[in-house]
Amino acid sequence: MSDKKIIRVEHLKKYYKGDKIKALDDISIDVTEGEVVVIIGPSGSGKSTLLRSLNLLEIPTDGDIYVDDVAITDPKVNINKHRQKMGMVFQHFNLFPNMTILRNLTIAPMKLLGVSKADAEGKAMELLERVGLADRAGAYPDQLSGGQKQRIAIVRALCMNPEIMLFDEPTSALDPEMVGEVLDVMKELASDGMSMVVVTHEMGFAREVADKVIFMDEGQLIEEGTPEEIFDHPKSERLQSFLQKVI
Amino acid sequence: MSDFITQFQFVFLESERYQLVLQGLLATLEITFFAVLIGIVLGTLVASVRSTYDKNQEELKKHGGIGYFALAVANVICKIYLTVIRGTPAVVQLLIAYFIIFASSNNDIQIAIFAFGVNSGAYVAEIIRAGIMSVDNGQFEAGRSLGFTYVQTMIYVIIPQMVKNVLPALCNEFIVLIKETSVAGYIGIMDLTKAGDLIRGRTFSAFLPLIGVAAIYLFLVMILTWLVGKLERRLRVNER
Ligand SMILES: Nc1ncnc2c1ncn2[C@@H]1O[C@H](COP(=O)(O)OP(=O)(O)O)[C@@H](O)[C@H]1O
Ligand SMILES: [Mg+2]
Repeated sequence: MSDKKIIRVEHLKKYYKGDKIKALDDISIDVTEGEVVVIIGPSGSGKSTLLRSLNLLEIPTDGDIYVDDVAITDPKVNINKHRQKMGMVFQHFNLFPNMTILRNLTIAPMKLLGVSKADAEGKAMELLERVGLADRAGAYPDQLSGGQKQRIAIVRALCMNPEIMLFDEPTSALDPEMVGEVLDVMKELASDGMSMVVVTHEMGFAREVADKVIFMDEGQLIEEGTPEEIFDHPKSERLQSFLQKVI
Repeated sequence: MSDFITQFQFVFLESERYQLVLQGLLATLEITFFAVLIGIVLGTLVASVRSTYDKNQEELKKHGGIGYFALAVANVICKIYLTVIRGTPAVVQLLIAYFIIFASSNNDIQIAIFAFGVNSGAYVAEIIRAGIMSVDNGQFEAGRSLGFTYVQTMIYVIIPQMVKNVLPALCNEFIVLIKETSVAGYIGIMDLTKAGDLIRGRTFSAFLPLIGVAAIYLFLVMILTWLVGKLERRLRVNER
């Protein structure tokens, strides 16, 4: 792991209804290249809002976000270019239902990066092979199981050669028996050195894979540390009671 | 029975009155066809403005500037258009087009095409907008997160899914329009309805001319409905 900061978030605020709802209340974090950051916290604590701010799917009320030292919160920045480097995986997969799996994987590289069809398909097949779904290339999303869909969604993001991957509760919509296959792909990605920010309720995954765990509550960053610090020596009362509930 | 045939011959064949029916039918089809085209173009345009404004409002507000201002103004204009057109009867719109907007023109058919096109555009716009909204927002976010611009996301991701949802509703709108154009007689156009009414006046016989005209409308509508049904079934087969 180098110590290049791939993402820096400074005093990020996101308010709804004037300032009645503080989804993010002055959050500062950073992500080092190759680091896996896991965000935990109760429902409604602002985890998704924080993650989705990182590629500006949510537009912050205030504060700055730097990606590769470029302030993407500056309106003059071309956010589309930055999003190409930031893969995102959603809770509900959001595969394109009217396209085959292969088309799902190749459309963005072909249209956005100017990759030839042959090259895009070559890369897609290679990645499909790695997640064990090469035989489903010609299928449509609704012919796949949830776990398969999510693995495809990860591959779709990877086909853009991202520098960082964002995951918003990637296993929360899955039947329990399918959680493992998705987490395995994510673990492999982490061990390959991918920078990752993961919102999840899978505490086992956080403990095993995270370099850094962030605990949020009510829009605030309450505690931040290594998995040992967070899970074995929680300092704040809020984290302690949260861990009691989920573990 | 022979009574009916004699009557039929008298009403439609004598003095070649069936020519009136054919002419009227042609006018009805011509007005409907071109009004539909205008409706699609106008409706797509208005729906684009409305949806673009709704989806990018927050982002553009932050950027500020002339782009946001222009879009906001366009959005207000579209809203006024939708409210006025959908809040007033088509006949009144037709009369306004004829006696006020194009008072100096005497190309009645073109005026009718314009009026019905503008009218239909408002309904088409709302059908398309509803279609866009019917596509899950997650699809939009997936497109944007890959790096597609708003327009690219619409073209590659949203519109192909939306078209399937709106095509049947759009076709139905045009079936409705065929019947709507029956008020074209108000501005002196001899459409199908007017032809039937003319023959009624000339023959002093109401039954056959009016029932005949009704049958032709019904026939057209049934054929189109059947085609829409076929289309819907095909879309469902391809649905994935
Ligand atoms: N569009 C919105 N309008 C109003 N409140 C919202 C909106 N989106 C999120 N919130 C609020 O922001 C807070 C944080 O939400 P979220 O980031 O989704 O939490 P989490 O992902 O941790 O469950 C919640 O209180 C939620 O109700
Ligand atoms: Mg969430």
